[in-house]
Amino acid sequence: MHAVEFKDVCFSYDGQAQILKHISFAAEYGQVTLLSGPSGSGKSTLLSILSGIIPNITPGELSGDVYIDGASIRGCTAEEICRRVGIVLQNPESQIVHKLVEDEIAFGLENMGLPEERIARQIDTVCQMMGLDKAWQTRTLSGGQKQRLMTACTLAMGQKILILDEPLANLDQTGGRELMELLRSLADHGYAVIVVEHRLDLVLPYGDALWSTESGTVQRVEEKTVYLHAQTRKIADPLPPFAAGEDLFTLEHVAYRVGEREILKDISFSVPRGARMVILGENGCGKTTLLRLIARLNRPSGGKITQHLDGRFDRRWKPDREWFRRVGVVYQNPNYQLFMPTVEQEVAFGAPSREYAEEIMARFSISHLAQRHPQSLSEGQKRRVSIAAIAATAPEVLLLDEPTVGQDYQGLKELVELLNRQHQETGCTLITVTHDVRCAGALCDRAVLIAGGRVQQQGGKSLAQAYFGK
Amino acid sequence: MSADKNILYPLTGLLSAIAILLSGLVFAKEPLCPALLAGFLLWLLLFGCYRACLRVLLPMLLVGGAFAGITYAASGDGQSALGMMNRTAAVFLAVIPGMSITPVQMTRCLSSLRAPRAVTLGMLIALSFVPLLTLEIRRVREAMVTRGAGSLLSPQILYRAFLIPLITRLVNISDTLSLSVETRGFTLDGKAYSIYHLQRFCLKDGLYILGILAGIAGMAVAVCTQ
Repeated sequence: MHAVEFKDVCFSYDGQAQILKHISFAAEYGQVTLLSGPSGSGKSTLLSILSGIIPNITPGELSGDVYIDGASIRGCTAEEICRRVGIVLQNPESQIVHKLVEDEIAFGLENMGLPEERIARQIDTVCQMMGLDKAWQTRTLSGGQKQRLMTACTLAMGQKILILDEPLANLDQTGGRELMELLRSLADHGYAVIVVEHRLDLVLPYGDALWSTESGTVQRVEEKTVYLHAQTRKIADPLPPFAAGEDLFTLEHVAYRVGEREILKDISFSVPRGARMVILGENGCGKTTLLRLIARLNRPSGGKITQHLDGRFDRRWKPDREWFRRVGVVYQNPNYQLFMPTVEQEVAFGAPSREYAEEIMARFSISHLAQRHPQSLSEGQKRRVSIAAIAATAPEVLLLDEPTVGQDYQGLKELVELLNRQHQETGCTLITVTHDVRCAGALCDRAVLIAGGRVQQQGGKSLAQAYFGK
Repeated sequence: MSADKNILYPLTGLLSAIAILLSGLVFAKEPLCPALLAGFLLWLLLFGCYRACLRVLLPMLLVGGAFAGITYAASGDGQSALGMMNRTAAVFLAVIPGMSITPVQMTRCLSSLRAPRAVTLGMLIALSFVPLLTLEIRRVREAMVTRGAGSLLSPQILYRAFLIPLITRLVNISDTLSLSVETRGFTLDGKAYSIYHLQRFCLKDGLYILGILAGIAGMAVAVCTQ
């Protein structure tokens, strides 16, 4: 008996465009089943059907049969299905309801009616498994820690079928490997684990079966090595070796703390003008905080950051419009930075001229989207538009926080090419925070590795390669 | 600054917030009203809501003072200005016990009282949404600055850059939050559930609510005998 089986399933949200086309798919107990494919190919839709979200919460036209443990789920409510199937959704931050890790994990267990002593035991067990402290405040966790928390919440509920939708999106190499090892051991203990993930280099060694989604169809991949090679080959860096000149930013003994928690303790390094710098480090080590300090969105609680862009900025207490015209900040989530009625207006906003905005749109291959509302685009398109809109102000520095999260291989490759072209044509300094082994080398002239709130190592491309190769 | 932890039994906190608000509004024009409100503040401090009191005090004085000033400028009547100050202070004071209630305490309290699950869910989502909303507003405002869209001189851009990302984010968050609650087994039907840490009404809660009610009763007597 299959743990999960799809038989000739078709689905359409609007009754016209077919998102899933006659798919048949199965996952077994005792196995880690991987689902991979380009963005928009139907992976999340498939998971939504399996968890009962479709058609119970999200309506649409569904045909075919879906079985869990050999029983059809037709007519079952989402809640009935979710008591048999544990699901870890994307965007962990939006799923947190309570203030403490302990209460967050207890929430699902209370809903299942478990006694207090068993809830306490389950909390201790999953906290230990996922490297969490049950007394931590949920809102102060890093992105990776939030991902681990939501995984812990699902694991604690103890269903034998587990589905994880892009669980590695916010995890570093070590965190990703640890999670996959845990899922592997659960499968070895008889669980059925289904993982949707773009980062195949990390997940494939732990998988038993690999399924590929493409344009609404699902195919089992037999030649896993060939598929892996095609999806994970590192993106080549087309740019010549960097010749360092004067420094643009100098960080001296920079520290940052929130309350009692010391996030950065002693950070000293410099960023040469025109360099592509990558900031490396494990989850929660303070990479994003460091980027925010350089962007002057936060002030260091100790030490000093000197900018050599313009002496006038030193006299201003807060960063102003002129600062952000010259220092572009690209958020991990593009939704925060898109607000104009059309893509054309979005890119033109802040651009020195209409012609330059058009040039940027052509460079970022978004001219065909000119009249679309930015918020109506796919996530990959939104990310591209948000980077284009920032690039259109012709900044001398581009700060990028995890620009490749959730991108499939093709999208990632195109994005890296765009960033490198922008760097090459404008000479801007790029400072990137990334966990992505595929692109780190292609966006790197200089690298700095942060650990324990300090600079552990500095170097060039070889440092990024060594870090991801460890 | 984090919220005060486990200070009050959640329903006591909620009831006292309503009592403070209503009494402040009803007695706003009485000369003794500032004394009543000061008594509430003292009582809240005494029962451990000092963090919330500290957070609220300055905005209460600033907003109350501004409203009182506007009222005085418009009417030239000191009594009306004092009334406005009292009303504003009552609203801010009523927020203090609410700030001391966490979503988890309220959920467990309502669950232990076997309240309808729809009510529990509504309270859970509402209380979870307040800190999320605050966080999102801060992030959107910061993102506006990074895009150079924070100028008061361009009100149309200011409004778009604030509202569009905020609404988009809130819709996304509420979608995901409701899915998260549903996929973690929270149901509206009569399925059995348990309570991890039971919320208990204790002597302290009784004393607290009695103090609030005694203050209101004393004020009522004072007004009637005037």
